[in-house]
Amino acid sequence: MIEIHNLTKQFEKIKAVDEVSVEIKEKTVFGLIGTNGAGKSTVLRMIAGVIKPDEGTVAVDNMPVYDNVEAKKRLFFIADEPYFFANANARAMERYYSGIYEAFDREEFYRYLEKFNLDKNRKIGTFSKGMKKQLALLLGICAHTKYILCDETFDGLDPVMRQGIKSIFAKEMEERGLTPVIASHNLRELEDICDHVGLLHKGGVLLSKDLEDMKCNIQKVQCVFCAVEDERKALNGLEVLKKEQRGSLCTITVRSTREEVEARFATVDTIFYEVLPLSLEEIFISETEVVGYDIKKLILG
Amino acid sequence: MTSKNSFLASCRENHKRRVWVWIVAVLSQLLVYGGMMMIYLSRIRSYQAEGSYRTMAQFQAAMYQAAKDALAFSDNVYGVIIILAAVIGMQGFSYLYDRRKVDMYHSVPVSKDRRFAVVYLNGIIIYLAANLSGMILGAVIATAQGAVNMDVLANAGLAFVWHLFLFLAVYHMMILAVMLTGNRFVTVCVFLTFVLYDLCLQGQIGTLKRIFFETYSEYYLSTNPKLSVLYDCMIHIWDIKNAKDAAVAAAIAMPIVAKWILIAVMFLLLAYYAYKKRPSEAAGRAMAFPFTEPVFKVAVAIPVAFMVGGMVYDMSYQNEMLQVAGMLAGGLLFCAAAEVLFDFDIRSIFKHLPTSGIALVGVLAIFSVFKWDVFGYDSYIPAQNKIESIAISADGYYDNYWDEDRQYIEKNEFEKDNMFLTDASPVLKLAEAAQGADPEEMGDDRYVQILYRLKSGRQKARSIRVDYDDSGTEELLNQIFRTDAYKKGTFQGITDETVCKDVTRITYTNGPARTVIPAAEAARLREAWLKDMEQFDFTLVRHNRPCGSLSFEYKNYNQRQWFVYDSFTNTIAALQKLEAYYPMELDAADIESVTVTCYHNELAEQENAEDAEIEPRAVAETWDGGYTDYTVSETFYEEEQIAQILPHIYCTWIDAPWSRYKDLDDNYSVEVVFKRDTAYPYQRDSYYFGYSFYAEQVPEFVVEATAYTGE
Repeated sequence: MIEIHNLTKQFEKIKAVDEVSVEIKEKTVFGLIGTNGAGKSTVLRMIAGVIKPDEGTVAVDNMPVYDNVEAKKRLFFIADEPYFFANANARAMERYYSGIYEAFDREEFYRYLEKFNLDKNRKIGTFSKGMKKQLALLLGICAHTKYILCDETFDGLDPVMRQGIKSIFAKEMEERGLTPVIASHNLRELEDICDHVGLLHKGGVLLSKDLEDMKCNIQKVQCVFCAVEDERKALNGLEVLKKEQRGSLCTITVRSTREEVEARFATVDTIFYEVLPLSLEEIFISETEVVGYDIKKLILG
Repeated sequence: MTSKNSFLASCRENHKRRVWVWIVAVLSQLLVYGGMMMIYLSRIRSYQAEGSYRTMAQFQAAMYQAAKDALAFSDNVYGVIIILAAVIGMQGFSYLYDRRKVDMYHSVPVSKDRRFAVVYLNGIIIYLAANLSGMILGAVIATAQGAVNMDVLANAGLAFVWHLFLFLAVYHMMILAVMLTGNRFVTVCVFLTFVLYDLCLQGQIGTLKRIFFETYSEYYLSTNPKLSVLYDCMIHIWDIKNAKDAAVAAAIAMPIVAKWILIAVMFLLLAYYAYKKRPSEAAGRAMAFPFTEPVFKVAVAIPVAFMVGGMVYDMSYQNEMLQVAGMLAGGLLFCAAAEVLFDFDIRSIFKHLPTSGIALVGVLAIFSVFKWDVFGYDSYIPAQNKIESIAISADGYYDNYWDEDRQYIEKNEFEKDNMFLTDASPVLKLAEAAQGADPEEMGDDRYVQILYRLKSGRQKARSIRVDYDDSGTEELLNQIFRTDAYKKGTFQGITDETVCKDVTRITYTNGPARTVIPAAEAARLREAWLKDMEQFDFTLVRHNRPCGSLSFEYKNYNQRQWFVYDSFTNTIAALQKLEAYYPMELDAADIESVTVTCYHNELAEQENAEDAEIEPRAVAETWDGGYTDYTVSETFYEEEQIAQILPHIYCTWIDAPWSRYKDLDDNYSVEVVFKRDTAYPYQRDSYYFGYSFYAEQVPEFVVEATAYTGE
């Protein structure tokens, strides 16, 4: 587990990260969401042990990470602009990383290269941006570290590649308990990958929750009540996060389990009701609006 | 087989990132050593083809010397090694400038210590491999041409050590510069500051002392940089190159190498500490540690301000007001430039004005210390009980000095090594009398250099102005001159017991006559001269002129003069016994002619004085491009006239140490031409001999004959 406690970092007069506390559990895909300048990269760089926090701690499996080789052996950090040696090809990068990460799986790496159609002998300098990100991800996956930290790595990958990487993540999580930590400014990029999401804004954490928990505890119901009394009876005791009405059709977002909502609506007279799945975007809108933020302005633009 | 994550594997991996540095390093060294060796040896061979060497031994010695010049200590190698050290140091740690690289290198499981050690050691390996390749190539070329002997190899080995520590000192400076900065340009600026700072600072301190301290002198102790490897290279290379063998060269080089080791260790420790403390986010910034910005700014602004002030002072013909204005302007401009450099933003020109103010206040404070002699530099006279010994050099005498290998050394060096006056009293009285004395009122003001060796181990040097015409000064100088310590520290003929060895020829001359004495007589003549030197004091040399001089000649054109006065009866008796003595007075019967030239200085001075009263522009308009020639010459052939002239002239071709200028009449010069058939042993290779009249002894008929008539 990666434990981040009260992490603070200031660059000259700008506070990039302000008392961030997050726990990243093993075998989950952790998404770090935030606008540009929210402090995602700084948090990731501190988790990777690249920069030293001004205050607070980062512990990887109970080990402080800064200048700690043992902790870093469990991490692979892919920066937003991954660096490759000048004039190097994929083979050269493999040789470098396999010399550093003892568990680096060379065979697997070359197998993935083929699968992703990346030429091992071609100079990386001639690769497209997306190809470079793929290569960085493959190097990170094959390093066989416990955690892989990806800074905006998925942005710009085409859907096929995203799916490919996603399936590799799933396989690695299944086989050896890989824990990917993915930072992105785009909520939609993470929707189908993450298990847990942390929302960063202006250097602080707005919320950090399991996606499943959020999905399970927030329900969207579309219904047409027979009478106003039915509506009052149905919603009595439920935490209503949002309610929209078009004619007689109500769309209500409530904090509750699906079973409880279904049980409640079954007891009142309705012409029609249906519990609908929420997108990650909708969950975030609901959650952040509760605490007074307009998520659309923050992330969705 | 090494583990994939072993230290050696890391080194190997790092070398892959430094291929171009390898190529540059090896090529530069191969070109320098190989190229120099070929050029030097072919030059000697072409000299031989032209017949410049009379014997094969001479040719062989020249070949060895050429090989030594190319393979050992060479001016050409220094520049290359300094540049190489800077390039290797910067390239090795340049990843710290780039955030992308920092993200990668600092996130992988490699400890900071190992990364530093790998990059650092690989830099040294690159240098060593390149340097050794070059030296081996040079040695192979020299061996193929038969230009290698043990001395060449020993000197090359010594130079290898010298160059290695020069490299390390500069390399460590560059590493520290990289650690303190975040981009290449600022790194180069900080590196140049490290390399040049002491040199510039001491230069400026020396300039201020020269301007404001009347007693400042670099005769015995100069304001030299102590921590500048560049200065060490420039200053000591000559001595090391010209040492007679590798052992002597090592004796000169090793103390400097020891100092370089200290410098290298100091910079390495600082570099390593800065590396450990350096934040990764410093990549791309000007300075890695914000607190170093004002330190760098103030520390460099001060010497820069003095440099600009010094230039303005020279250009404005020593105008102090303009000097101060120049200093302030220079300091302020540098502060502004530094702020722009730190932010890469021209709008930062007025940023952090308080630190700029501190720099300027520092400049003014230092200037004031010198201008008003706050610490009493000029009034310094040590207490007598604190003095261990003194060396003193009174203006008016010079001789050749050499070391035990008969290599020339400077007079001040000889005095420092050989003069230890323990009775400080007359020197201190002389220094006290000099304080507040007005040179304008002195009859014959001269500089006396003093080196105080204090019991604390420190040394202080001062230069004082004294009046040689003053009877009090004469008495004090007599007390000093009469001591054995002074004589031993001034006349190497007294100190050096080997002075009679390897003498190739002895001559005695009174000016025109020169007689050759067998070299075997050297010891006997020296003994007589030493006996006569017991009467040596300031009054003797001040009020008398030598009647002749002895010259001991040695191999390699070394020569030593022994002046002889009329009162040196033992020396004169020894010379007479050898039939080598000729008195200063000449016989008119031997003389063909005497030509007297009168310069009429009084007329020239009068003309200058008149010009000074006219407006400069008017002088310029009427000036015809020349000066009036007032000189009048007259040649006398009559034996009677010549006989009247001869008792009043003195041969100016004989040195007269400490003598009074005014004893001779500088308005006249005299040329004496001997008869060709005379038996007098004058030097036949000279047509005439130069003389001067004693003051106020010009015969009347000569004055009349050389009077200026305006024609």
